[in-house]
Amino acid sequence: MIKYFTMKTFFKAILNLFKKPVTIKYPFEQTFIPDDYRGMIGFNENLCIWCRRCEMACPPGAIVFSQAMDGKQTYHFNRAVCIYCSECVRACPKEGAIFQTNVPAKCALKEENINNGWNILYGEALMSRAAYAAEKKRLAAEKAAAIKTEMEKKEAKS
Amino acid sequence: MGKQYEIPLGAQHISLLEPLHFKFTTENEKIVDTVANVYYVHRGIEQACCSKFKFRQVSFVVGRVCGLCSVSHTTAYSQVAEKLIKIEVPRRAKYLRMLVIELDRIHSHLLCLSHVAENSGFEALFMKTMQYREFAMELLEAVCGNRIQYDFSIVGGVARDLKPEVGKMILERLKIFKPQLDELVDIYQNNWTLSLKNKGVGLITKEDALRLNVVGPFARATGLAADVRNEYDDLLPWKEVGFEMVLDKAGDVHARNMVRLRELYVSMRIIENIINGLPESALVTETKTFPDGEAVARLEAPRGELFYYAKGNKTQILERLKIKAPTFSNIPAMVEAFKGNEYGSAPAIIASYDPCLSCTSR
Repeated sequence: MIKYFTMKTFFKAILNLFKKPVTIKYPFEQTFIPDDYRGMIGFNENLCIWCRRCEMACPPGAIVFSQAMDGKQTYHFNRAVCIYCSECVRACPKEGAIFQTNVPAKCALKEENINNGWNILYGEALMSRAAYAAEKKRLAAEKAAAIKTEMEKKEAKS
Repeated sequence: MGKQYEIPLGAQHISLLEPLHFKFTTENEKIVDTVANVYYVHRGIEQACCSKFKFRQVSFVVGRVCGLCSVSHTTAYSQVAEKLIKIEVPRRAKYLRMLVIELDRIHSHLLCLSHVAENSGFEALFMKTMQYREFAMELLEAVCGNRIQYDFSIVGGVARDLKPEVGKMILERLKIFKPQLDELVDIYQNNWTLSLKNKGVGLITKEDALRLNVVGPFARATGLAADVRNEYDDLLPWKEVGFEMVLDKAGDVHARNMVRLRELYVSMRIIENIINGLPESALVTETKTFPDGEAVARLEAPRGELFYYAKGNKTQILERLKIKAPTFSNIPAMVEAFKGNEYGSAPAIIASYDPCLSCTSR
């Protein structure tokens, strides 16, 4: 009995030499990627309504909107910070404005300065928004003051 | 009494997957005493969950506690958060959660088995088990969109739906896996060289297991019926999908292997039942309430009982989150089970505990 088993395993081992390898030659052959793989996050500026809900929902803080002084917002996204959970896509009220593709993200490079650069960019974006809000508030206050003085003048005349 | 020596094993060792330190006191070759030190990978996740992240984002943070039982952590947290905001999860979401947990269990158990084989000195079986494990990883990638961090459960339901073609693919792959699993069971059960390192090694009795509060396959290998899936049916309907508890009596490394292998059959049956009888309903229950009060949730992760406690204070950020991982409960028994064994079989015993230090230290 033992002899039979040893002979069987011996032949199996010999046959294994002629089997196809189990591993795949990765760079030349593509690995298994499903159709709905969680890949890069895409953004469509024309559809966006600038509600910033994706930024609020994002767990690692990979999305931030900066704001110019004329009120125009710009979308910034960091692929190295993103965890590809598609929480932003679920939070988006306008379908198609932010979406997930099945393309895997590229590696972050040292030249891109993706960590420190992102921290600086994030801080600047928040500051630009605060500056715009302060400017808006100042303009509103000026306008209110102007109206008030006009009213007072009218009252004084009458 | 002979001369005693102290031999350290870890925190960096060829047979360990994660930083874990054991200090063995040995007499000739016999281990007489053990001291364990497990807190090498503390990352402060509990504190981050209670200060930096909103409660809906925390389910993605706790998924990063552990790579192997990621979905168990997210599901347990989702359950505790759902209790705090008082919502009921849709039925389809419950079934999909169970599906991913069971797929995760298959790949986690196969990983553990392969490492037992490797640490017992059976490199070829390690390769074979890892080769058969690959199908579970691909199925998880097809279902969740990622190989490791699934991010599948969110507060209120699940993030993605199961496509019919993916369901079909799972059933096909399981059919291919079944004879492979039979082959593995045959090797793990009958191989003579493996039995030398596994049978009667790392023994722990049922009484000791009960006294030291062991959970998971470690407890079930001693005959102790410790399975959360058997106790609780209200959060996830395990009994509906054909869950059966697997028990063994011996309590050694071999028994643990056999419990894990037999659990794979149960997992496969559960997955088949879920896909064949998936109910139709919404995926997420939407609410805008904030967490309030206290709640606990228990869930059977691949390594044993996972325990979550959370406390809310009607704001976006939780007041307290406590995670008790299965390996934390198993440490006293781990130390106990070494006694009387040879130092040479210590790596195989450690692998058979399936320790997860990232979970334990968080």
